Amino acid sequence: MSNFDRWLMVPALIIPAAASAPAFAVQYMNVEQAQKVLFPAADGFEAKTVVLSAEQKRAIEASSGVRVRVNEVKAWHATQGGKALGWFLLDEVYGKHEFITYAVGIGADGAVKGVEILDYRETHGSEVNNAKWRAQFTGKKAGDTLQLDEDIKNISGATLSCKHITDGVKRLLATCATVLK
Amino acid sequence: MTALALSATVASGLAECVRARPLLGTLVEIAASGDTADTVQTAISNAFDAVERVHQLMSYQAADSDISRINRGGFERPVTVARHTWHVLQAAARFSEASDGLFDITIAPTLTKLGFLPRHSDFPRISGQGNWRHVLLLPDNQVRLARRLRIDVSGIAKGYAVDLAIAALQEAGMYSGRVNAGGDLRVFGETAQIIHVRHPGSPTQMLPVVELRQGAAATSAGYYTQRRYQGRMVTPLINPHTRVAAEVQRSVTILADDCMTADALTKVVHADPHSAVGKLSQFGARALMLEADTASGGCRVFDTSSLYPAAWRTRVIT
Repeated sequence: MSNFDRWLMVPALIIPAAASAPAFAVQYMNVEQAQKVLFPAADGFEAKTVVLSAEQKRAIEASSGVRVRVNEVKAWHATQGGKALGWFLLDEVYGKHEFITYAVGIGADGAVKGVEILDYRETHGSEVNNAKWRAQFTGKKAGDTLQLDEDIKNISGATLSCKHITDGVKRLLATCATVLK
Repeated sequence: MTALALSATVASGLAECVRARPLLGTLVEIAASGDTADTVQTAISNAFDAVERVHQLMSYQAADSDISRINRGGFERPVTVARHTWHVLQAAARFSEASDGLFDITIAPTLTKLGFLPRHSDFPRISGQGNWRHVLLLPDNQVRLARRLRIDVSGIAKGYAVDLAIAALQEAGMYSGRVNAGGDLRVFGETAQIIHVRHPGSPTQMLPVVELRQGAAATSAGYYTQRRYQGRMVTPLINPHTRVAAEVQRSVTILADDCMTADALTKVVHADPHSAVGKLSQFGARALMLEADTASGGCRVFDTSSLYPAAWRTRVIT
């Protein structure tokens, strides 16, 4: 510690105890809210779930360079007064340990209108494999105070690799071009 | 599905909302409270637009960003950049000057060598000489490189993006707000918020370190960005003088009025904690350095506040 004798002088010792938050789980939006944010002008969302054929899968992988792991594409056709505005796609990718649910809005011109995170469940450590720990989330409703939610709001130094989301968006753009007309 | 965060109207009639988008290579979270759910949504969308603008202008990765255009042709001829880019480069020069070059945007080739930045095949070769002094800022938002350099502003642009987003929330009349871009965060509003920092020795644990009502906190540490290079673990925190990467197990948090200052100064403290101490006061900044204490499992916190106790609206939680 003598190295830092010019640094300051309150070398306090913080022991991680009850105050330290073990995990990180946030629900930002549900599907309807994300639809409204990505297509504010839309008055209709027609659900259109597509099951990819082996051939379509190969075509998407070839054009995007990203592996297609799930055959089902959850898509909604956004319209305003019967006029097509574009596609709303719901997807999941792996974060560090758990899935991140996100939505992509793709305009009628085929360009991304926006990406919104719906569910972010970054969970760490052994606590999360504990059923009891997980159970504390069940039954939580709007307005409920989640103690964890309180604790995770302001983490300085939390970094997330967005590579998987970036790859996911690439894959969805290719999916849109290949199977959604 | 429950609506935990979005449009959850609290008893006072205030509308609160929090949204997240992947931007700047991290998860950017923006929260605000205002009069109605609609104004809050619009304000947050405007704030995301501001972050996106910085992302497009200053990304090292994107081939058409201002930074890539400088790297490609800045030595041959002056490159005209956007006002925002110019402003960030000017701030970078100020931080370089004040830190005797401990902050330097020309370490990009070292980051590429270590694998933190991509290789662009169309960028000209570098000479291996020169530093931040050879990035010339000419009138009319023009930039020229006096040596064959490559620049990367990711050590400062994230903080700038957070500041722009906060400004967008304030312009839209929000009562309080928070922007968190993977470690660079800034808040405003009535109530103080507790800022957590990851335990540098076991990053899955968060430590509540400081209470912040107004201002920014930026943390840099190697725990999630480190990678193996020639058998050694390295971080993207480079000392520009020695071109050596900082240690993995130390985290630095800077508190300052704006996020760009906080962001830039984390690099200065990482590069040389000793000499950095004397440089913080001129920016009105305070540093907290966390080191894992293997004996106790806790961490040692070094805090500069005892040197400059002045105007901090914060307290360290111990």
